[in-house]
Amino acid sequence: MRLSFRYISDKAFTGLTAVSVVLLSLVLIVVLAPMIWRGSSAVVFKATVEFRKMQMDLFNRGEPSELQAEIARTESFRKEVYETLDKFKKGIDTESLSDQARRIHRQFGSELRLRNITGDEYTQLRSLTRELRDRLLTAFESRDIAEIRENIEYVSGYKNDPRLTDTSASALFELGTNYLESAQSIDLKQFEQYSESIEEIEQSIRDLFGPRPGEPTPAGVRLRYGATRWDQAAKCLDRLFWAQKWVETEPAKPLIKIKLSRAHQFAGTELEKLFEYMEQNVQKLLNPRLTFYWQYFIDDSFNSHYFGGVGPEILGTVLITLLGMLFVVPLGLISAAYLVECASDNPAVRIIRMCINTLAGVPSIVFGLFGLTFFILYLFPLLGAESKGCILAASLTLAVLTLPVMIRASEEAIRAVPQTYKEASLSLGASGFRTFVTVTLPAALPGILTGVILSLSRIAGETAPILFTGAVALGPVPKSVFDPTRTLSYGSYDMAVGDRISMMVPHNQYGMVVTLVILILCLNTLAIVLRTRVFKKLKGQ
Amino acid sequence: MNGTKLILTRGQATGLNRPLALTPGQDLKGYVASLLGRAVLFLITCTSVLAVLLIFFFVCREALPFLSKISLSEFLINTEWYPEADNARFGALALIAGSVYVTIAALVFSVPVGILSAVFLSDIVSFRIRAFVKPVIELLAAIPSVAYGFFAVLVLAPWMQNKFGFSTGTNALNASLILAVMALPTIVSVAEDSISALGPELREASYSLGATRFETIFRVVIPAAHSGIIAAIILGMMRAVGETMVVWMASGNAAQIPRPWWDISQSVRTITATIAGEMGETPKETPHYWALFALGVLLLILTFSLNVVSEFFLSRAKRALGKQ
Repeated sequence: MRLSFRYISDKAFTGLTAVSVVLLSLVLIVVLAPMIWRGSSAVVFKATVEFRKMQMDLFNRGEPSELQAEIARTESFRKEVYETLDKFKKGIDTESLSDQARRIHRQFGSELRLRNITGDEYTQLRSLTRELRDRLLTAFESRDIAEIRENIEYVSGYKNDPRLTDTSASALFELGTNYLESAQSIDLKQFEQYSESIEEIEQSIRDLFGPRPGEPTPAGVRLRYGATRWDQAAKCLDRLFWAQKWVETEPAKPLIKIKLSRAHQFAGTELEKLFEYMEQNVQKLLNPRLTFYWQYFIDDSFNSHYFGGVGPEILGTVLITLLGMLFVVPLGLISAAYLVECASDNPAVRIIRMCINTLAGVPSIVFGLFGLTFFILYLFPLLGAESKGCILAASLTLAVLTLPVMIRASEEAIRAVPQTYKEASLSLGASGFRTFVTVTLPAALPGILTGVILSLSRIAGETAPILFTGAVALGPVPKSVFDPTRTLSYGSYDMAVGDRISMMVPHNQYGMVVTLVILILCLNTLAIVLRTRVFKKLKGQ
Repeated sequence: MNGTKLILTRGQATGLNRPLALTPGQDLKGYVASLLGRAVLFLITCTSVLAVLLIFFFVCREALPFLSKISLSEFLINTEWYPEADNARFGALALIAGSVYVTIAALVFSVPVGILSAVFLSDIVSFRIRAFVKPVIELLAAIPSVAYGFFAVLVLAPWMQNKFGFSTGTNALNASLILAVMALPTIVSVAEDSISALGPELREASYSLGATRFETIFRVVIPAAHSGIIAAIILGMMRAVGETMVVWMASGNAAQIPRPWWDISQSVRTITATIAGEMGETPKETPHYWALFALGVLLLILTFSLNVVSEFFLSRAKRALGKQ
């Protein structure tokens, strides 16, 4: 009994340790997989004709004649959609119908004044058209088909009145008969829902196709184009085909969202065939094509990252990283060399080591505070530079942050060089300095390179220290190291918690963070491979 | 041979034309040069010391006006943090509690997994699998904190809200889960180093007495390596305390102490997140600005003392190894 318990506990323990390691690997996959999967859709996706329009306008990319032909082709299919919609709207949009009736009445009045008629006749005709107008207005506002018919028929009775033929007032008859026709085809009880629904449909179509041809170009870049991507188009189509409604299934339970088919809602009306038409011709309307948008990595962004790529962010990250490395590599290397080659175990060296450990433990946000007070508020004014966040301040701050990483990695690399190398060199009469430069350093170089790469990836990924020292969410591309810049890390933060616009473009949100993650993972994989090879080599010899 | 002849004058290639014995002047010069060189190297190495001193000095300098205005006890005991109100209150207890809360919760998740993984890597698994798992841990450590924060906000938070019906997905649980993942690589690598540094003798002695692997590890290996393991936990703790982006994005940023205390689904706010979130909008030379620096000093003191403790345990682990 006791023996079996021991046996089982032993196996269970082994299993538990294995599970924990599997958990670690799973965490890595769970964190990375959704990001990479969704982020890759920023670069590889099905682009519609709207995307190519946008690329042409904003980045001057593509073949103009080809694009014109494509636009003409899609426009010809879109025309049908617009026509169907307008036709239906004519009968349903009573407000604009009433406006039209009033306008016709007014126009007729001014027409009469120019005509050579007596005051009596004028008053008579005026009051006649006023009555016709009022009848029409009553019909437009009515929700009862009998009343509508009665009013419209009354108006139509004057159709052949010689006083009104060939005047602008004759438009009133057409208005009336058109309205009667469409009023007969729809269920008037649902009138309110129709007009609400039609607004949503119009909005969805605007989201899909952009502004109608002939309309003035909207000021916001975002509103100038329809759905540029097929996944966005699918969402718009979903909103177009299905009305969403929150309903209460049980009292005191949260509301549940249900979808109602619009085709069903508009059954029997003019609009019904619109849904069928769009469903069948959606490919021709948008012309989606699988696109590899590699320019994502060089393009500037528009309208809070709604369009465009992460070019300036990559530039800023690279600038800050390289400038930081310029400070940290010599400092770290020399410190490591001193600690390995020259330092004995005396109090001064022990203090230095303790400080390096302390520096490694200081929270990154405190580095941000330090960068703000020391570099920006103290050192820059002292040296006559402008006291504001900039690339230089950010990279100096990050250099201080990564100094311990660099020192530790190089120290390890230099220590890993076999003692026999140095002894051989020293025995040949080389000085200590010469031995270090010509023997130890080349042998330790791959290891040091590993340290360099690790510091690089640390600098590129840190966000907290540059919050106050040089990163901005939106701004121009930096012209010198004394300008603040956008970076991938701060951009990822800004888009994750950002405004509604960035929430509308999840592919760009994920694209930004994936660019950063892949950059850093590549650097780290390189470092790991390099280190394994170096240790194999040093071990083998 | 095509006629060209290699002509060597004496000593040209080897530098043997120099006299082997140095004059006293040359000797002295060389000595002074090497001494100077060492001094220069030493000074450059002292940059780290300078950096630490500057950090302490400049952060404390901005925090001092605050401490002269508001009593330390109010800062540490009051839970009301209303820095922008007309009658501004600077009680940091809720923020300190928030930091401690997410850190401890993170450790609860990460310590068992971390130590078990360390044992697995050092004692159980073959070298080949180990070579495969190590990079996984390194990659986990390499993912930038903002990417973890991004994951917390856009993937984990909505999932939690839907799955468990929390009122908000950005809460203490979310932040501590992510912090646990971030602290894991540190814990695993330091603990594994100290466990595998023990050497086979202890284990062999235990096995020879008939103990199973479970008993050997629990009764012999872990007690023997306890200093290193404690140091690993403290280093992981430092990572969690000092982390900014993740807690800023994932903890919900409500300056409150969760009530009841075990309700981990409530939002909290940490010291680091407060500094990160408020520094950008705070005008300089105001009590609020100084208060944020005071929080920075608090963090510095906290991590510095944790660092000292971990150093103590690491050096003890080293000494214990030396004795064997």
